[in-house]
Amino acid sequence: MLQLNYMFINMTKFINLSKYPFTIFSSLIILLFAVSASVSAQNIEEGEKLYKANCTACHQIDSKLIGPALRGVSDKYSEEWLIKWIKNSAEMIAAGDPDAIAIWEEYNKSPMTAFPYFSDDDVKNILAYIEQAPEKQAVVATTSVDGGAIVVEDQTSDYVILTIAIVLLLVIAGLWKIKNTLKEVAGEESEDLFSSIITLVNAFFARKSIVTLTVFIILGFGVNSAWNLMLGVGVTKGYAPEQPIAYSHKLHSGINGIDCNYCHHSARHGKSAAIPSANVCMNCHTYINEGPSGKAEIQKIYDAVGFDPEKGQYIQGYEQKPIKWVRIHNLPDHAYFNHSQHVVAGGLECQDCHGAIEEMEVVEQHAELTMGWCIDCHRQTEVKVADNDYYEEMHAKFKENHPGEAFNVEAIGGLECGKCHH
Amino acid sequence: MKKVCSNILLIAMPFLVLSLFSSCSNNEADKPGYEFMPDMYRSPSLEIYSSNTFFKDSLNARPSVEGTMPRGFVAFYYDNTLEDYLLAGKELKNPFENTEDNIEKGKQLYQMFCAHCHGKNGDGKGSITHPVYGAIPSYADDVMIRRTGENMNDLAAGNIYHAIYYGLNAMGPHNTQINDTERWLITMYVQELQKGN
Repeated sequence: MLQLNYMFINMTKFINLSKYPFTIFSSLIILLFAVSASVSAQNIEEGEKLYKANCTACHQIDSKLIGPALRGVSDKYSEEWLIKWIKNSAEMIAAGDPDAIAIWEEYNKSPMTAFPYFSDDDVKNILAYIEQAPEKQAVVATTSVDGGAIVVEDQTSDYVILTIAIVLLLVIAGLWKIKNTLKEVAGEESEDLFSSIITLVNAFFARKSIVTLTVFIILGFGVNSAWNLMLGVGVTKGYAPEQPIAYSHKLHSGINGIDCNYCHHSARHGKSAAIPSANVCMNCHTYINEGPSGKAEIQKIYDAVGFDPEKGQYIQGYEQKPIKWVRIHNLPDHAYFNHSQHVVAGGLECQDCHGAIEEMEVVEQHAELTMGWCIDCHRQTEVKVADNDYYEEMHAKFKENHPGEAFNVEAIGGLECGKCHH
Repeated sequence: MKKVCSNILLIAMPFLVLSLFSSCSNNEADKPGYEFMPDMYRSPSLEIYSSNTFFKDSLNARPSVEGTMPRGFVAFYYDNTLEDYLLAGKELKNPFENTEDNIEKGKQLYQMFCAHCHGKNGDGKGSITHPVYGAIPSYADDVMIRRTGENMNDLAAGNIYHAIYYGLNAMGPHNTQINDTERWLITMYVQELQKGN
């Protein structure tokens, strides 16, 4: 269209316009077409909006979702047929349209939602958009997922220390060299590196007070670190192992806002908070087979359960494999902990013990999970009695017998040995 | 003066050597640390998600034996077909009374299990960013004609319960995560959302 316009302008250069009213008229027509071309760009934009708001729940451009892939749909069916179908497919099936019945049966007789409020132009706009939609629908990547971010950070800090050490060594070598050069200039005898180290060591051992002081300081450090080491026995705080699937809590819980209870659904019902079984993953990942980091990690779920994402169905007779998640939070066998008691009766948030899981790419143990840590919390935490009928009776009695005292976990027997060690 | 300087240097020297050694050690995030008595942490008793060599697939968490049901299990006598979906809509009634308390319970469950897709107010604008879940209909929608032949805001309790149980379109089945009572409470809250704001 633009080209035509351009040609036309070139032509008018040679023709006197006033003599040829027809030319002006035709130029107007061409201009009109040009305008209509820009309208159609607007149509596509309009169509894109409608498509994204109404169709993407069941359709994709290039691959099958619940309904068929839509690219080339205008070549397969006439525009008139498509308008009728989109406005009310059930009517067409009932009327016995062979094409309509064929597609309905191909997709397990699941009826398409009818959009009777679409105007013909709305449908045409959507079709216009589908026809020239970009090759591949980009997955919305709000953040770059970088598995094992914590480990990577640690490595960089190690590198920084190493670089500083090398720089310092170079400075020492440089100073030593300068000192030697100055000595040579002053006519004194210069030393080689080895003999100057020997001199330094000799000077160190020659001073008894310095040796004693050093020994004491080193002993202090040693005792301190041995103490810390012993306190750390059995405490796995900061443990962040690599998991078989680089599942990101930050992406699922933080960015996508999925509630913890959605996957860890038994936290409200029982002792364990549940490592979700793969069918919970498949609630969404039947259709979402590509994440911000690509397809490889989601493919691992499919490999475990035997799902073919191309066909969108489970493989018959597939031998399913367990996903072997690495356990992070672990209490010794002689300590009893129950999630539902803390979550339902106690009304705690998951984050109170597990930290800001929704910000973690790789889950890390946040709390110490030592007995001292449990006891501290039981002493300090006041029992939530508002909107919590679980402790209603107990609270009433407590107020009667211990007026003015804090109603904390300790007060309701939260420090009794048998509560956790039974 | 010179002597003081060299004294400081002499004291500092062993620490320089020590610090060089200590900086070599890694901060190992992928190792749990030391254990004093491992057999008290890892006793032979079976834990829910531990592995079990007795079974071929090593899973300790077993599906229930065929023909049995867990205690408290409530069966649902409708299949995952369009016919049964419609039938459930016609036949089933919510066994729970429509009280403020029940609706509040349903609301809490809805926020846990549904809101990230269906939106906090049931408008279909949830927090999920993926395009597959980008066009979820509002519960209060009164124009699109759904598979029941009616609009979203006309769906019956049985339809909603069936959809939670077996899933619908891009929504997966949620019967393993949400038990019978919870499904009905959520249904009750969804029916409140159908009224719109």
